[in-house]
Formats: sequence, structure tokens, C-alpha cells
Amino acid sequence: MVRFKNRWLLVEFLPCPTASSSVLDTSSRDGPEITSKHIWSALKQSVIANFGDTGWGAMSSSLTIKYYSPTTNVCIIRVARDQHCIAWAGVTLMTSVEGRRFIPNVVHLSGTIKQAQMAAITHNRIVVARYRANAKRPTSYHDSYDNFLQSCTEEIEALQD
Amino acid sequence: MAGKRKDIPQEMSGREKKKQKTAIARTIAVQPSTSGSATQNAVAGPSKAAHFDAAKGLPGSLDVERFAEARAFEINAMHTAMQNARADTAHRAWQQLPRHLRRRAASHDVRRVPLRLRDKAKAEMDTPKAKPKKHIPQRGQAKREQRTEMLLKRQRDKVWLESHIWHAKRMHMENMWGYRLAVTPTEKSFRPSHRASVHGSILHDASYLGLIEIKGPERVIRSIFDRCCDFQGPSACAKRFSSGARVFVTHFYRRDSYPFNLIAPVQILWRPLATSPPMSGNQQSATSQIGDQTSKQKRDGKTEKTASQPSEELQRTVWLWIHPSVFDEVFQELCLCASLVLELVKKANPSSSTPSEVEIADLRRDLNVFEIMGPKASQVIHGALNPVIEDGRNDFKKCWSSLANLRSAGSVPRNTVIGFKVLDPRLSFPPKNATVSLNSWNVPSSSAAATGFYPTSSLAHSDIWNEEIRQPLQKPKFKKSEIDQRRSQNLIPGTPLQSQRQDDRIPMLMIQRSVENSSSQTTNSPFSATPSVHGWTLIIPAGWSMAFFPSLIHTGTRVGGQRERQTQAFESSSPCFPRDYPSTSAYNDFADKTGKEEQERWNKKPRAKRPAWEKLGVRSPWKPDWEVVLGLAQPEPFEEKPSAEDGHLLASDRDERDLETENAQPAADSVAQDAVDLERSKFPSGTEQHAVTEDHQTTCRPWLYRGMGVAGLIASLAASNSTAASRSNIIFHFIDASRKKRNNPRLNEAAEDYDFSHVSPKDLYRSALVRIGLRLLGRGCPSDMAIIYEMSDEEVLRSSPRTAFHHDNELMEEDMDKAESISIPPQESIIGYVTTGSYSLSLGEGSAIGAVPLAKLVDLQIQAKRLGQSAMTAKVRDRHDVTWRAAQVLLMED
Repeated sequence: MVRFKNRWLLVEFLPCPTASSSVLDTSSRDGPEITSKHIWSALKQSVIANFGDTGWGAMSSSLTIKYYSPTTNVCIIRVARDQHCIAWAGVTLMTSVEGRRFIPNVVHLSGTIKQAQMAAITHNRIVVARYRANAKRPTSYHDSYDNFLQSCTEEIEALQD
Repeated sequence: MAGKRKDIPQEMSGREKKKQKTAIARTIAVQPSTSGSATQNAVAGPSKAAHFDAAKGLPGSLDVERFAEARAFEINAMHTAMQNARADTAHRAWQQLPRHLRRRAASHDVRRVPLRLRDKAKAEMDTPKAKPKKHIPQRGQAKREQRTEMLLKRQRDKVWLESHIWHAKRMHMENMWGYRLAVTPTEKSFRPSHRASVHGSILHDASYLGLIEIKGPERVIRSIFDRCCDFQGPSACAKRFSSGARVFVTHFYRRDSYPFNLIAPVQILWRPLATSPPMSGNQQSATSQIGDQTSKQKRDGKTEKTASQPSEELQRTVWLWIHPSVFDEVFQELCLCASLVLELVKKANPSSSTPSEVEIADLRRDLNVFEIMGPKASQVIHGALNPVIEDGRNDFKKCWSSLANLRSAGSVPRNTVIGFKVLDPRLSFPPKNATVSLNSWNVPSSSAAATGFYPTSSLAHSDIWNEEIRQPLQKPKFKKSEIDQRRSQNLIPGTPLQSQRQDDRIPMLMIQRSVENSSSQTTNSPFSATPSVHGWTLIIPAGWSMAFFPSLIHTGTRVGGQRERQTQAFESSSPCFPRDYPSTSAYNDFADKTGKEEQERWNKKPRAKRPAWEKLGVRSPWKPDWEVVLGLAQPEPFEEKPSAEDGHLLASDRDERDLETENAQPAADSVAQDAVDLERSKFPSGTEQHAVTEDHQTTCRPWLYRGMGVAGLIASLAASNSTAASRSNIIFHFIDASRKKRNNPRLNEAAEDYDFSHVSPKDLYRSALVRIGLRLLGRGCPSDMAIIYEMSDEEVLRSSPRTAFHHDNELMEEDMDKAESISIPPQESIIGYVTTGSYSLSLGEGSAIGAVPLAKLVDLQIQAKRLGQSAMTAKVRDRHDVTWRAAQVLLMED
């Protein structure tokens, strides 16, 4: 059918420690909190710099930042299907947002937002599981956070109905 | 002119509002950052460390709790976002409800929507401004037509049931048998209704059933019934029935004319004797001296008690339920029969002084009948009704308490009658279904006596028989509004009302009802796979329909119309009156009516869009021609002459046949040239029928042979390796024997005024129809009026029995091809028609009920035996179809 088709990019911005600071260093956080608007303008700059006005003109009308969480740095970007390669390249070539350095990591590319959301859920689960594995904590190990996680999952499952 | 737009901030339009709403529904929640309050190193942290040089993958430090919390929040947010987006898309609040919970008023009244959806419904609702009430002028109020008058005006040519308005709002209504009856619910409910009858409960208002009351001496009533009812089964006066403990379900014939002139199935219920004395021997001897004066009273209204009650004669009352389409016929027949019997009594005892009287009264609008079918029916009744336990009715107490635990009414003895008195069910509205709680010693397999359902006349005792008690109850003493008013004065809202002295106590009857094939009980019967539907018939006085109805259906009982009732019969492979009773007058009316409707529909269609009956080889497309099938009449030639262009094989087939019928020279052996006749020569018996018709202009009409003995008789007919003549003698003697049992003259010695007098055994044999069930061997599903053909020996052998089907898939495919074929069998091999055919939900495949001549069925049995087949087979073909399919033929005794 004749429909407007989109692509949804699930991107995680990994904060990049500068030489003087560690990941959790206070100095990296003194600027204002990053919002989806900042991501949008940074992406715009990146596209203009790499693809010029043509590139930006082709994709600007369809580019939306659907979701950005400053706590987890996970971002969902929507772009028209025809131009999604430009957006993807623009995301990959981004280096900083608002003066802070990030490494963009595209986790998933999908045709519907639902698939992007589901990819975000699995990504989060995998990340937690990976840390767990790295810490050599078997799943049967019960620490104080397990209860918290348990209650979280219960809430989530209750929502799923 | 752009500047002309006013700068006033406008309210949002509907489109903008909707846009905003979807935007809100589609946003994904973001975890608010706690940068202000939290300590600075409390950061969730990235999922990966971006150390290019570092060998280790972990960041230097990580706040685990925050990290997990952030991830959990995000997972949660994604889930809710997905759910919100889905909920927002195209569904309105009421669309999320299952169909039976949707309410018409829910589009403007939020309170008609369940609480969980009320907020959503409120937001969606587009409330129009309240219109000012239309002013009704006060002056002409007296002249205006009252609502009751207006409704009565609509009932001039038909009768409404008491629950009519409830039904008319929810069901398709049709004029039938002088009533306006519900056909089927407006909502889609074919399959749910079947499920309800198998797993839940379904109610049908059967108040349209005609009720006749007969009062008189027991001996006279007995001889009336002995002349009119089925001669094969037990007598209507057998002790088990005449005690009033059970309803007798039988068939009504014209007086003395069994097996001809079947009228309809009837239910007969005797009023139990007041002080249940067993009928003693001296009672019987006393009846021989009964009086002579015959006086028959026939009134359409109520009857009062007869003053003269002979002391030595037991006066009994009997109720007789009958289908409304044959009410007049049965009523007249009963009156005639009663006068004949009374005359005989008078002749026998001319000296007796005491007169014996019989009263026959029409009680059509005096009682209401509800049929609740399904395994949950007992719980529904137990929950909705609140019986008044009278003293000395311990058996009823026991029975009522075990009713709550009854898993199926099928475990109660068939047709058990339970009589009791209940409080107004509106007092305890809303009802709650009883819950089944089975103790270990009270398992369902315990006997009827243990559960208290053993049919006795004391259990069947009810005041509903007494007209003096029924009379004042014709209208409920309190209106619903008055009861609601009383309820609103309850101190604790929601508690049921306490019954008071002035509240009505309604006498009623509860009768076990089973819709089942009579042979489904035996284990190796082919019908044992078909489920039976069990339930109860509730009989309540007139005027109380709408007091009982809401209580009975409040707990989710479905309501069915005529179609649902028919489906119940079809699913349990039992015949449904009148559609499965060929040869009865009610069936002829039914067939005429449906045939006419179909013909009208057919006539409206253009030639290309309607089946060409002639080409399809359909002899009578609108109504089954039983006379022709039986060989009692000649097939009518088609009016339309074939056009020139159809010169293919089918047309030539037909031309040949037309020629033959016109020449009236049906001796088959003389014409054996072309393919048609070759085909026909496979059916040696099929050629006989025409020869007989010519020389014998018989008055014999088709008759339906049914009853317990049919299977045995057919087996004996098929066993005797004899001619048709000896077979007809066997059945003639068989019928004579059952007539003799009821002291009726032999068939050929019957009085002149019967249309079957001087019937010969031959005519008797060849005009008999038998009902059959059809199970297809392969795919397919026969529809109503499908044509049944006989099969040649090779075809029978080719279509292997159904047992072979389910073993091997490949074999099955192969067999399916064999079991059906695209060719139209010759009209001469038609042996019957399907009366009801459909997809059977309980069997999971197509199934049909039909009728064939008895002679043909015997031929089929002989053929099956000769070929070593376990079951009889026949072809069945829909009228409008060119494919015939092989089907197994099962004999239905019922």
C-alpha cells in the first residue's frame, strides 16, 4: 500500500571519559542535562557536516527523536525509510552532544516503533545479565538487589497482562 | 485576505483534540533525573564502557542500584507505551467489552460501562447538550391512546407471549402458528448457543405450546388415549404415567388409524391423586359399571368442577401439551374420540344411572412454559427460585437440596415431574447460581432414590393443577416498582427482601426434559456419539412470565429462539416437529411455506445467477415429492422446455427421460440402448415403482413408520430371503398385532369411513417412510432438501467404510475422491430427501436427518449384507450441486 514508511533506530550513547576524568567523574556532568532536542541538533550538525545541505534537506522533514532517557542514554530515532541510511551514518559519525563526548552505538534498526521498544527491553535485560555474568554472580545468587529486580519484573509483567 | 482571521484564541477542534490525545498516548515516559537531590556519584552508568585502550570491559565504578533501577524503569516505560499506543488506536471503550456485556445506552451513558473502562468512556463521550423536554399538552390527555391499547391493536392477528417485548428488543421475530415468536437472537449466537446447551444453560420460552385439559373418569380417558396415541409403546395409562410421576412423551394419531394419520408428538401428564392411593383391584372392577349419560363439554374458556362425581368412578385430570400448529386438529380429534368412547360406554351399560362426563378444555393461555437446557440449568433454577417448603414434603426437600449438586439433568430419571411452590423470584433478585459441592458419599453416580429424584406422585404434587389457586394468581400482586420500593427501604442496601404474608406463593411444575436420540443410550448404537441435551421444563401460571424470566437469565443463561431449539434437536440426532415429520399435515404446511419462500427468492434472480433445476436433474426443487419417491404418483414433467443450445450430455439425458415419461411406457428392459439406461439397469428395484403406479390408482398416502420396533422389523424384513409380497405380509401382520394390542380392528377390517380401509399389505408396505440419519463418508455437508440416491454395488464397494478413513492420511485422500463424484445420478435412483441437513457442531462434520421409503431401506440393508458392508450407504447430493457424496445411512427409530 501507499504509506509513509519509517525506520526506527535504537541508539545508545555511551559517554566517553575524557583524559582527565573517569566515567563517573563529576566534571562530565556539570553542563545542563541532555534532552532529545540536544540530540536532534547534534544529529543535524553531524548530517550537515558530512552530507551537506542536500543530505539534511532530504531527511530533515522526517527526523524525530521519539525518546531519549538521560539516565540510560538510550534513544529512539525515527526517520523516513528512504533516507534512513543518511541518518544512520550521521548518528555513527557523531562525536559529541552539547560539548560532551559520546560514542553512539546503534543497537537495533526496525520498521515499527513496537519492535524498537521490544529491542530496548531485550537490550536492557541483556545488559543487566552481562554485568551479572561479569561479576561472576550466578542467577541463583540472591543479593539485596534481587528482590528489587524481582518486584520490578513483577510490575512489568503485571503491565503486560 | 489573510489578515481577516480573528485573533481570538479558539477552543481546540475535535481534530486537534484527537491529535493531542494520540500524541499523549504515544509518548514514552522518561525517567526523571534526580540530579538535584541525589549524591553526585549516584549515576546509573552506561551499559558499556567506552574505553578504547582499556582491556577490561567494566567501568571504574557503577552504582548498581541506580543502574538496575534505570533499566527497570525503561523496560516498564516501553511496556506501558506499547500498551497505551495499542489501546489508543481504534478502539472505543465499549469495544473492549465482549459482546454480551455491550449495552446500547453505553454510547451516551457512562454508567452502562464497567468501572475499569469508565474513565476512558467518559473521555470519549461526545455529550450533546441536553435537549429541552418535548412539551406534551395536558388538555387532550384523556383522548390519547393508552400504551396498552396501542399494544393490543398490534395483536389482532396474532398472539404475543408475555415475554414478547423483551424478546422483540433482542430477537428476530416472525409470525408462526398464530403467535409472534422469536426465531433467533439478533447478535451472532449460533455457536455460543450450542455451547450453552452443552456446557452452560440456555432458556427458551415455549409458552406457545398448546395445552388441553381433559377431565373425566379414568377408564374413559384411558380408552380415549388408547385410540389416539402411539400403539407401539406403553399405554398412556401405564401405572408409571397415570400416577402423575412422569410425563408421557408419545405421538398422537387420528383415532383408530395407527399407523396412518400421524398428527404430532404430544406430552401427556396425569394429575396425581390427592391422597396418592395406589390403584387397587376393586377400583378396576368398579369401573365396569360406569354410567351411561354422555355429555361432553367443550369450552374455550375455563372449566368449573363437574358437580356429578360418581362415587365409584375415579375422576382424573390430564394435561396434554401439543405443538400449536396442530392444536385445532388434536382438539377436534380428542372431542370426537371422547364422544365415541362415551357412546360405547353408554351402550355397554344402558342400565347405569350415574352419568359419566368428560370435560375437554383449552388452557392455551393459562400456563407459561420455559425450557432451560444445559448442564448448568439445575444450578440456575436452584439459585433463582426460592421454594416454600410445606410440611410433610420431605421427598421434595431432599430433591431440592440435591438439585444444587446436580451436574446434569440427564442423571435424573427421564420426564420426572417435581411440583412445588415458590416465592416471587423478584424478591430475591439478583439471583446467584448455586455452587456444586459434592461430598464423597454423595457422588453423582448414586441412584435416583438416593438423590431424591425418584419419581413419585407425591413429589409431583402441585397446586398449579387447581384452577381456584391459579385464578387469583393471574396477575402478580405487586408490580416491580413496588418491590423495588420495598427494597430501597432496606436498611442495608443490596440485601434480599424478606417475604411477607401478602406476597404471592406461586405453584409450579418442574419436568425433566431430554433432547436425545432414543437409541443413543445403547453403547454400540451409531448414535451413541451424539451428545444429548438435558434440562428442565418449568411450568408456571400465566401472568408470571416476566417475574421469572429476568431471574432465570440474569446469571448468564442464554436465550434461544426457534432456531436454537431446532439446533438442539439436530445436534442430538433427534427429529424436530414439524420439519422432520414428513407425511403429517403440519409438515406439509411447513414444506409449502418454505418452498414458496424459496421459489420467490429464486424467481427474483436472473437466470445466470440461479440454479437451473432441470439441468441439475432436480425433480421437485421446492418441496420433496414423497409420493413420487414412494412410487404412488408420477413425477410431474418440467414446464420449461429445454432450449436448443444445451445439447450436451446432461440435456440429452433429460430429453430421454422426458420422452419416457410422456410415453408412459416405463418398462425398463425394453429400452437399454444408451448410457442412462445402462446406469438405470444397475438399480433393479428402481424400475418397479412406475409399473405399479399405472394399474393401481391407489388412495394410499405416505405414512411415517416410527417407533421402537422399526429396527427389529427391518432386520427381519432383510433377513427373509423373500419377495416383496412376503415382506409386505410381515409388516402387515406386525402392524395388525400392535393394533390388536389396543383392541383395534385389523387394518383391512377397519370401518368404511377411514381412508385406509381396504388397504392391501402391498400398499401398506410401499407407502411407508422411515426416518434416517446420514453421516458423510468424506467431506461435505448436506443442506436441507438434499437428494438421497441409491448406490450401485460397484459404487458401494469403491467408497470404503468410514473406519478406514482415519488410519492413513494418504488413504484418506484417495478415499475422499472415491466417496464423491461429479456426475448427476439419474432421477430414477432417488430414494429420499434430507429434511434437516447442516454442519453438526457436536460431530464436527456434516450430518443430516432425512426420510426414505421403508422398501428402499430394506433394499439398502440387503445390499449391505450382500456386499459384506457393515453399514448401509447411499449417495447424497445438494439440490444446487453437481457433486454427490457417499454417506452412511443410519436408521432412526424415534
